[in-house]
Amino acid sequence: MNEADRESVEAAFEPLLQLEMEMTTFLSDWHHCDQLSTFIGRIVSHNRTDPVRHSNVFSSVLNELLEVSFRGGSPDGQIDCAVYRHGAVERVRLTFPCPPHQRQFVGEAVSKTRRADALARHLDSISTDLASNRDAVFLDLAINFDARIRLENSAPPSITLVVDLPLQGIVN
Amino acid sequence: MSTGSFSKPFSAAFDINSQEFSLTGVIRPRSVDEIAVNISMLKGAIDQVRGVLYINVKRLIQMNNTAFHAFVRVFLDACRARPDLRFVIVTSSVVGWTTRMFSHLNKIEPQITIEVYDSKFYPGQSFVEDASFIPILRTQTKMTWRHERTILPRHGMRPGIAMADICCGIGDFAVLVQKEFQPLRIVALDHSRASLAYARDVATGFGITDIEYTYGDASEMLLEDSQFDFVSCRHSLQIFNRPDVLLAELYRICKPGGRVYVTNEKNSHCLGEPRSQSIQWTYNEVAKLFSHFEMDVELGPKSRRYFADAGFEDIVVESIMVSNLDGDPQDFADVIAAWENVYAGEMAVKRGDSPEFIQRFRQGFQDHIFAALHPKGYAGWPIWVASGRKPR
Repeated sequence: MNEADRESVEAAFEPLLQLEMEMTTFLSDWHHCDQLSTFIGRIVSHNRTDPVRHSNVFSSVLNELLEVSFRGGSPDGQIDCAVYRHGAVERVRLTFPCPPHQRQFVGEAVSKTRRADALARHLDSISTDLASNRDAVFLDLAINFDARIRLENSAPPSITLVVDLPLQGIVN
Repeated sequence: MSTGSFSKPFSAAFDINSQEFSLTGVIRPRSVDEIAVNISMLKGAIDQVRGVLYINVKRLIQMNNTAFHAFVRVFLDACRARPDLRFVIVTSSVVGWTTRMFSHLNKIEPQITIEVYDSKFYPGQSFVEDASFIPILRTQTKMTWRHERTILPRHGMRPGIAMADICCGIGDFAVLVQKEFQPLRIVALDHSRASLAYARDVATGFGITDIEYTYGDASEMLLEDSQFDFVSCRHSLQIFNRPDVLLAELYRICKPGGRVYVTNEKNSHCLGEPRSQSIQWTYNEVAKLFSHFEMDVELGPKSRRYFADAGFEDIVVESIMVSNLDGDPQDFADVIAAWENVYAGEMAVKRGDSPEFIQRFRQGFQDHIFAALHPKGYAGWPIWVASGRKPR
């Protein structure tokens, strides 16, 4: 995809919701991951074909992403979660501050989801305890939720995950 | 045991008699330590069973990767240590991600298989979820709505409420309620994808976009506790083999102070003149036929007892008689003809009834149609309406 095509696709995504929170507040309680994913899932899904079940699936994915940011994030700055929609696809853009080494680990975990052996890696992550939590989470999202995950350039110390979710197929 | 720190109740339980370990609710621990007691319970269950252990995740609403990997680790270790043991993981088609996540385990260990709990959750489901039933349902609602639109306010229906219509079928009741009473929110749930597709088309045709149609199992809903001011469930308790379980779910999602509203029949009280004896015989047989398939179409007057046993207060019960004098008698006749097709043409055949029985059985429906269309005839279909308030 060339730059012009990419910009065209990017522009097609309609913003639905954006939420910002101080990382210190976010990191103060593990249950924020569950609460935010449930809350955002309901709002985003209200006009989907089956809102209850779409919300359930969306919340599953978003919770995992928030848990990644909870486990790997640092307390300085803000977490920013934005959701967009284009047709049957929801896009989550999640930005949070994290140490440089975490940025590298996340980048490696994301790249594994795009490789041809992603399913084999996923099975391996289930059957052994050798895969990192990040690897297991991103492979789970890619294999079980058809998520397309990439990292977007953002100014250090922040990291931005962009996750496209064609959830209608799972829901219906 | 329950873990109170999650936003929705989570529980794990083991039933030695059915060799079933079940996980329900939302389980999103930060670390495995938080679910150590549940993991220990699972290990204990594995030690006690022989042959097969059922893992019931039908009502597992959410499970994060941390919990998934912790439980799966136990399954896989057990497969290696106990080659004699099989695991059957029972998922629900309603919670789609569980089937996807757990199905990979079979690729790792063939001793683990997945069963999607779906179409057999009540015995008569296949009859009423058939797409051919849709035209009958629409005409039935048209006939009953003439009465219910007057009755509903006495049972708690009013503008601005949050409402759920459980077992909504083709969704026409929800559409009529939306137009007549303007509730703030309507969630309409059914387990027939064909009916829901039809429902969405009907709503779109009427320009109604704010009814949330959802696929679900009425006896184990994804909907959260205490959400709705008014919960309706029409003509459905009578076709579940466990109406008490369904009523408990309706109670659960109803707000304290809100009301649950149900309608049910007593089929043996369908009547007509002339040819009343033939009609009465056939509808007595209808009740027996449904009973054979574990459905109680005589439930209507029993509603009061069911509501009382479920813990409702301020229980209101009344009956209505839908008749050939309501609107077009041909509508009434069409409904009876459709009943004949399903009851005599499918259910009696499936029960193994003789051709002689089926012929007599059909005759009662034909006589009911005759009474409905006779210029001096009367044909009736009694329905019991009941509602109760969930205590505050």
